[in-house]
Amino acid sequence: MTTENIFSIPRRSQVARQFKQHGGLVAAVLPIHYPRALLRAFNILPMEVWGPPQVDVSYGAAHVQPYVCSIVRNALSFILTGGLDVADLIMIPHACDSLQGLGSILLDFLPPKQPAIPIYVPRNDRKEGEIFFAEELQLLYARLEEITQKSPSDEVLVESIRREEIADELLTRLHKQRGSLQLTDYDFYLNIRAREYLPAEDFIELAQSILVGPFDGQQDGIPIILSGIVPEPMGLLKTISQFGGRVAADDLACCGRRLYPPGSNQDPFLRMAESILGVSPDWCRGSPIQDRLDHLQRMIDSTGAQGAIFYNVKFCEPELFDLPDLRRGLGEIGIPTTTIEIDISDPISSQAMTRIEAFFEMIQ
Amino acid sequence: MNLVDSLRYHWNVNILGPSILRFSIWLREQTARRGWKSGNLAPPLKVSWRNKDLVTRHWLRGHYANQRSKVAWVTSGAPVELLKALDYYIVYPENHAAICGTARVAVDIMSEAEEAGYSQDICSYARTDFGTLFSGMTPVGKLPRPDLLLACTNICQTVLFWYRVLARHFNIPLIVIDTPFVYQSEASEHAVQFVLRQLEEAIPVAERVAGKSLEERRLEEVGRLSKLATELWLEIIERNQHRPAPISVIDQFIQMAPIVEMRGDAATVDFYAAMLKEVDERIAKGIGAVKGERKRLLWDNLPIWYRLRYIAEFLGEHGIAIVASTYTNAWGELAPFYKVERGLESFALACTYVILNRGTGHKLKTMQRMIEEYRLDGVILHSDRSCKPYSIGQMDQRDRLIREHEKPALLLEADHNDFRCFAEEQVANRLAAFVEMLER
Repeated sequence: MTTENIFSIPRRSQVARQFKQHGGLVAAVLPIHYPRALLRAFNILPMEVWGPPQVDVSYGAAHVQPYVCSIVRNALSFILTGGLDVADLIMIPHACDSLQGLGSILLDFLPPKQPAIPIYVPRNDRKEGEIFFAEELQLLYARLEEITQKSPSDEVLVESIRREEIADELLTRLHKQRGSLQLTDYDFYLNIRAREYLPAEDFIELAQSILVGPFDGQQDGIPIILSGIVPEPMGLLKTISQFGGRVAADDLACCGRRLYPPGSNQDPFLRMAESILGVSPDWCRGSPIQDRLDHLQRMIDSTGAQGAIFYNVKFCEPELFDLPDLRRGLGEIGIPTTTIEIDISDPISSQAMTRIEAFFEMIQ
Repeated sequence: MNLVDSLRYHWNVNILGPSILRFSIWLREQTARRGWKSGNLAPPLKVSWRNKDLVTRHWLRGHYANQRSKVAWVTSGAPVELLKALDYYIVYPENHAAICGTARVAVDIMSEAEEAGYSQDICSYARTDFGTLFSGMTPVGKLPRPDLLLACTNICQTVLFWYRVLARHFNIPLIVIDTPFVYQSEASEHAVQFVLRQLEEAIPVAERVAGKSLEERRLEEVGRLSKLATELWLEIIERNQHRPAPISVIDQFIQMAPIVEMRGDAATVDFYAAMLKEVDERIAKGIGAVKGERKRLLWDNLPIWYRLRYIAEFLGEHGIAIVASTYTNAWGELAPFYKVERGLESFALACTYVILNRGTGHKLKTMQRMIEEYRLDGVILHSDRSCKPYSIGQMDQRDRLIREHEKPALLLEADHNDFRCFAEEQVANRLAAFVEMLER
């Protein structure tokens, strides 16, 4: 079952090509939060760019300093080397100072072929944050109208929102049921990360095919929590399996921190804002560290995880600020933790592998 | 505070402390002026003692602040006027960290934070302040415990992450004023309204902690004083359009402390009025910050606090003065936004249009304008490892300055507070090569 599913996942370039053949447009979208439903209402397929890992980094390094994280540097390299030429627009959600800088450089100094559109995600999930974000989405709507010469009606928008909500709900179920899915961690992430680029309707099909089973009880391996930004290089997941571990739940910016709950507002813009700002706590919305810690503890309680790996992209300052409190907090409830720092361009280092091995030995 | 404590406070803060302080400052000034050894740099401004007096008394009051009033820790771009009007004693952790940097004790202090797990890849100001929290080490004697935190994202997102750590550490309310980044030339109306709504929401929280209500008249008065001080500061730094420049940017870095941490105080207005007067006297007498000024530079980004004198001396030897800076300019350029009659809206605009909350292209335009207005010969861009929002974009800004303005521009790798990131020999070589280029 699993092999069939994995091999049926098309590559990003293939998905983009097919979508465009059917008259759609493609948006390359940088991390982290953005309105999928709004883009799809304009028949634009969002295709997320988390780096990517394998690019010639020298192009980006000519424009950003060495102390800027590899996600930003690689994304810039990818754009400059034509890696995103397939995209009709580039969207840069505001998540941190480095992504803010990237968006600004693209607008001011290195304009890509396509329109570059920044959006600001508020550091505030209270009512005023929601109102601002809904207005920001309305502004985006106007910009997309200019680009596509289309004006999707509220009905089209609501239909698109509902479709994305179904996909999000299935993604959440996949996360919750991962322990019994009989997928290796590597295969699980290959599947769920297809949400980063598959049209919602295709992802729904994929998720449903996985969720029909067969289920074969609980998986083997020492359950742990994986926290960080992105599981790249994905060899990490094989390394964890190799040393007898398995990821029971994750707090990754590209995965578990984006299990969007459905909105309830009748206004489509407010509904999208409500959903995006309603996800689990993370720094990029200014959530208190205690909320993040409580969230991790809930994950541990519900999965029986015996440890946590903080898998950080080098120079990711927001993650680094929270790290000591999170590690201390988990330590206080007897959960061992370790940190691995990576540059997404590099393979897993032998030092990191040794650290993971030692971590599982310690838990055992 | 009981009567004995109150008397002790007045004796220490208003009588004994200032007397000792003034005597020691006077003594140091006399010694420094008589023994001023630099053949290339003008002696410090006479008004410097007043700056030291203001700053030291501020920290002296800090010793007793928890007994006398509510204390707020705030970020440097925050609308502090709201808290001033509620009589909070204000601490700027960034300023405190800079003091540690200038006193060259920052690395010892930040090591304490690193031992507690904070990575060397996070802002060295934050690490310095965490180090003080964990160890109590500080050159200012004691930091009063905060009752409230106010962080405004207009200078960086880092302050948000930093203050979340403080909020957890102290278990106190954190007010976040989130200012959407201005990518284009103008902020959108809904972004300004968002900031305004947050300011309105912040007031009841600040009032609750302060235990008093905000009086409109008091806020207007504080706003008026802020505006006056900001305008004076802008006038002072614009005096450097004269040749020779009366004060260097290195002087400005030192003299900017009150505009950052005492904005809204009458004493700050008086101080900058006196400073402007002295600067004008220097202009009248033809005194330049660098003797025999031949070349004039722009400084971009934060200072390298622990090497201010070194850089001034190195360049001064060659008759080179740093006369303008995007950093010191940032504290003056917002003056037009302070419109007392527009109330909170003017604070929302001032918060939103801070240079660090605007795009990389805007910063380039600011530099280009300053090059023209100050008739500059070159630019030093401090690529500050600890300040990503200020530094990202500098590589392209440098290239444009060289190509489009034909101005030599140097990217100098360092860190504003962590001297372990300052490669002495490499910096000296790069500065020497830059000086040669300027001479061509």
